[in-house]
Order: sequence, then structure tokens, then C-alpha cells
Amino acid sequence: MHETDFTDGAVAPVADIPRTGILGILQAAVTALNGVMAVLSAIAITGAGFVLTWEVMGRYIFSIASDWQDELSTFLLIGATFASAAWIQARRGHVGIDALSHILPPGVEWARRVLADVASLAFCLFFSWKSWELLLEAWEEGQTTPSAWSPPLWIPYSCMALGMTLLSLQILLQLLLHHPRRNLGTYAV
Amino acid sequence: MSTLQIGLWYGAATFAALFSGIPIAFALGLVAVAFMMGFMPAASLDTVTQNVYEELSSITLLTIPLFILKGAAIGKSRAGKDLYDALHVWLHRVPGGLGVAVVLACGLFAAMAGSSPATCSAIGSSGIPEMRRRGYSPGFAAGLVAAGGTLGILLPPSIVLILYAVAAEQSLGRLFLAGLGPGILLIGLFAAYAVFAWRKEYGAALAVAATGGPSSAILIQDTYTMRDRFSALPRVMPFLVLLSGVMIALYGGIATPSETAGLGAVLALVLIAVVYRAYTPKDLIPIFQGTLGESGMLLMIIGMSLLYSYVMSYLHISQGAASWIVGLQLSKYLLLAAILVLVVVLGFFLPPVSIILMTAPIILPPLKAAGFDLIWFGIVMCVVMEMGLIHPPVGLNIFVINRIAPDIGLGAVIRGTIPFVLLMILAVVILALVPGIAMWLPNLVYG
Repeated sequence: MHETDFTDGAVAPVADIPRTGILGILQAAVTALNGVMAVLSAIAITGAGFVLTWEVMGRYIFSIASDWQDELSTFLLIGATFASAAWIQARRGHVGIDALSHILPPGVEWARRVLADVASLAFCLFFSWKSWELLLEAWEEGQTTPSAWSPPLWIPYSCMALGMTLLSLQILLQLLLHHPRRNLGTYAV
Repeated sequence: MSTLQIGLWYGAATFAALFSGIPIAFALGLVAVAFMMGFMPAASLDTVTQNVYEELSSITLLTIPLFILKGAAIGKSRAGKDLYDALHVWLHRVPGGLGVAVVLACGLFAAMAGSSPATCSAIGSSGIPEMRRRGYSPGFAAGLVAAGGTLGILLPPSIVLILYAVAAEQSLGRLFLAGLGPGILLIGLFAAYAVFAWRKEYGAALAVAATGGPSSAILIQDTYTMRDRFSALPRVMPFLVLLSGVMIALYGGIATPSETAGLGAVLALVLIAVVYRAYTPKDLIPIFQGTLGESGMLLMIIGMSLLYSYVMSYLHISQGAASWIVGLQLSKYLLLAAILVLVVVLGFFLPPVSIILMTAPIILPPLKAAGFDLIWFGIVMCVVMEMGLIHPPVGLNIFVINRIAPDIGLGAVIRGTIPFVLLMILAVVILALVPGIAMWLPNLVYG
């Protein structure tokens, strides 16, 4: 497993990236979007905390029935999970087992890293595609949750679709920008 | 293809995907989707995302980001240092009191923050230098904090127990209460070892000094007045009130576990703003970065692990494996030992969250059939996974300690943790002999 510092989340700094050309512009745009999503996710998590606090206070102090708080906080927390997925990926914060990286020769290690990113990208692209299908269906059919409050399901589904798409884009950029063969030597570390 | 063959291929594919270095979440998702394509009706692929959404949209699972936020808020403040300082002032007359203070501070901090690495870094960053300054050997100081930190996954609100509650379909309230007794048992064992090791190091230092050698700092006696003791309290009291308030809200029937998580996160943010004046963006950004990084990574693993387990169950792999284990007709404790060894081996490579979600459908039915209480087993499994945090090769806490005290050296830290790994094995044996240590409190409260 990566030696992730669970105490501060950020793992490795984002590697040096070219700031010129289409890829550079795309990378800058994705980085900016990741930042916005991270801020929104932080607000959503804090918001969920306040909603649940209100649920307790409302019930015990003001005797107000709780009917929407659990669902709203579920939406906020699921939204935050998917919205921040690309921001976490930019820091390589989705942990994996890298036990082999210490024993493989640099060339094989380079291929392993590229293949791992290709496989991650394939999965995330598939998941994004299916998320958009789910979102479209929920939108067209006007699907809601089965509760009394019954909020529309396109809200959390859109967070999932957008988040996974941004995550796929982030992995694609890492694949294109962070694996130059000229850096082969650094994989030996 | 028979279930056995599919199961073997599923295991092999998982092994290959995980060791290729694909992030755990995507690796599990990829294997699940690939087997859906190969062995399940085509329509099942259309429900992949809905499946993950529905599994994740459990309010119990979603307490995780809030407990992490609470832990990050407390962990980034000076609360850890204040807590340990206060305990030290109160315990300095106890032989080896400094080590005991560190263990107790770890336990209390873990109960507030719910995270093992956060506990290690919060208590260790002040506790390890202080112990070394007082002449404790670096390996012992590091081992003590690494082990104390592991209490974070056993004491409530443990994220690992939340996941176990979901995977094993057990009551979270009961699990949290069942973790308390074994948590106190481990604190007791660690503290007793701290006193024993101190006596040994004190005796050795005394012998050196008696023969005219240099006098070690471990021989110096501290004196604190009652005034010192009481002046240490105001800073830690609010956090102890938070800790007890959240517990009372949860067990007094005032709040559900999810509400407790929300309340705890909000109160922790308010407390660090009031007590430590931590409310500027400079203070808050690291807290939220830490929260997002950890909770997003964990929930992604959880969502995909649940998809992975769903496929495993649909293809009857988990049922097949479980009935194979039952069919072996192992004696009760041989079965338990074999399963715990499997958990230890998996702990070499995987974080506790993945171990629980991937193995629960396979190992829990045989354990239940053998007559084990699944709440009790959850706690024992947790203690075993705690060991994984302090033994190589993953041993997350070892790396946290290595980062906050790099000059000690990885080898010395690992040697320092070995006695504590042995104490944890002892704790598992004690829990097997006296299950009441875990089960007495939940049975008392819930009947």
C-alpha cells in the first residue's frame, strides 16, 4: 500500500506538469475544477454535520419531526464523495498496493504504472458512462426516493456522473503527462 | 464453469489486480465488472452504478466522513498535546507515569478522534520527544505510541466497527459498547508494560550511575504542585465534555449514530474555534483537506468493495466458500484461529476496511454456524487488525511514527512495537477465554 498519510489526506504533491499546449490548458482547467469541487465537497460535509445537528436539536428542543434530514445529509455526503474523487486522484490519494514497485526493474515498473493507470481509466470510464445512463433515466422518469419527502434522484446521480467523469479525465491526464519514458530512472527509487 | 472454478478465477483476478498497483477501489470495481460481463446477465451491467449508489446511501456508512471530520478537527488542534500534558502532570507520581500518561492519552484521544494514525501523530509529536528527553529508549517510546494509536480502531466511534456493523448486519450501538471493555483491557496491558519497561530501563540507568557512569535523565524525579495539576485542566475539559456528551447522546437514546456523528463534527469545529482560536482559512484548510482525502478514498473503496461482494454473492462464490469451510468440520477454536490467521495475512497488504467487506460474506456464516457471537468476533477481528497497523510490511502507524520522529529509524520503531504485538495476541486469548469482557456492557445496556 502507498504510505498514505491518513492524517492529512494529501499524499504526494501533484507532479510537475507542462503548462503549455492543449494538454497543459486542459490540466490547468481540470486542476481548477478539482479545487472548486473540493471546496464544494468540504461545504457539503460540514453542511451534513449541521443538518444532522439540527435534526437532534429540532426534535429535542423544538419538537419538530425529522423527515428530510437523513436524506439531505445522505445526498450531501454521497455528493462530496464523488465530487472530490478527482481532487483525491490528483494527489494519488486513492491507495493501492505498491509492494511490487520496490522489486521490479525500472522498465517493467514503468509498464506496471502505465498499465495500472490504463486499467483505472477503463473502469472509471465505464462507471461514468453507466452513471450518465442512470442520471438520464432518473431525469426522464422523474425518479424520486421512496420516502415521504421524496427528493428527485437526479441530484445525487448527477454528482456521481460529474464526479466520475472528472475523475476519468484526471486519470487520463496523469496517464498522458506523468509517465514519460525519459523519467524511467526515477521509478528505480 | 463450476462455482469452484469461477471462485478460483475471481480470487486470482483480485490478487492480480490488487498487486498490479491499481488503486484498491478501482481494482475491486474492475474485477467485479469483468466478472459481471463474463458470468452474469447483460442487464446486470446496467445496474452497476445504481448498485453502488444504493449500497453507499446508508446513513450508517455516511457517518464515516463526519467522524473523520471530527477526528481531523481535534487532530489538527493542540488538543492531543494538552491532553497528554495534563495526564502527565496528574500521573507523575506513578512509577513510569509518563508512559502510562501516553497510553491513557492515546486511548482518550482515539475515542475522541476515532483514527489510529491521527492518534499516533497527535500524541506522538509531543509524547515521543518528551519520553526521549526523560531518558526512555527511542524504540520503546515509539512502540508505545504506535500501539496506543491502534486503539483508534477499537474504541468508539471506530470506522472499522461501523463497517463491520454494515457488513455483518449487527447493531452499531452494541458493537461500540462491546469495544469499550477490550479497549480498556488493552490500555491496561499497554500501561502495565510501560511500567515494567520503565522499571527495567530505570534499573539499568541506576546501575550505570552507581558505577560512576553518566546519570540518565530517566533518574530525575519531577515535582508538580496541586496548582500545576488544576491549571492543566481547563484546556482539556471541553474535549472530555465533548467525548462524554457524544457518548451520553448516543447511549441515552437522544441521538442516532448518524446524528451523533454530525453533532460531534460540529461541536469539534466549534470547540477548536473557541479553545484554540482555530477558525481562519489557514487553520481550517488542512482539516478539510485531510477529511476529504481520507473519507473520499475510504468511501470509494467501500462502495466498490460492496459491488465486489455483491458479484461474489450473485455468483455463489461466497456461499460456496463459506459452505466449504463449514464442511471442513474444524473444531470451534481451530476455525477461529484459521480465520484470524487469514485476517493477519490479509492485513499485510490491505487496509481493515477492505478486509472486512471482502471477507465478511465468506467467514461470518461458518463462524455463526460454529456458535460464535458475531459482535464478539467483530471486536476480536478488530484487535487482530490493530496488530496489522503496527507490524510490517504495511504497518501504517509505524510509518506515521517514522515521519514524526525520523531519527529513531524504522528498525528501532519496529523492534519497539514487537512487545505490543505480543500483548495484542495475549488480549485475543483473554477475550476468547473471557468473552464477557466485550459482551458484558452491550448485554447490560441492550439486554
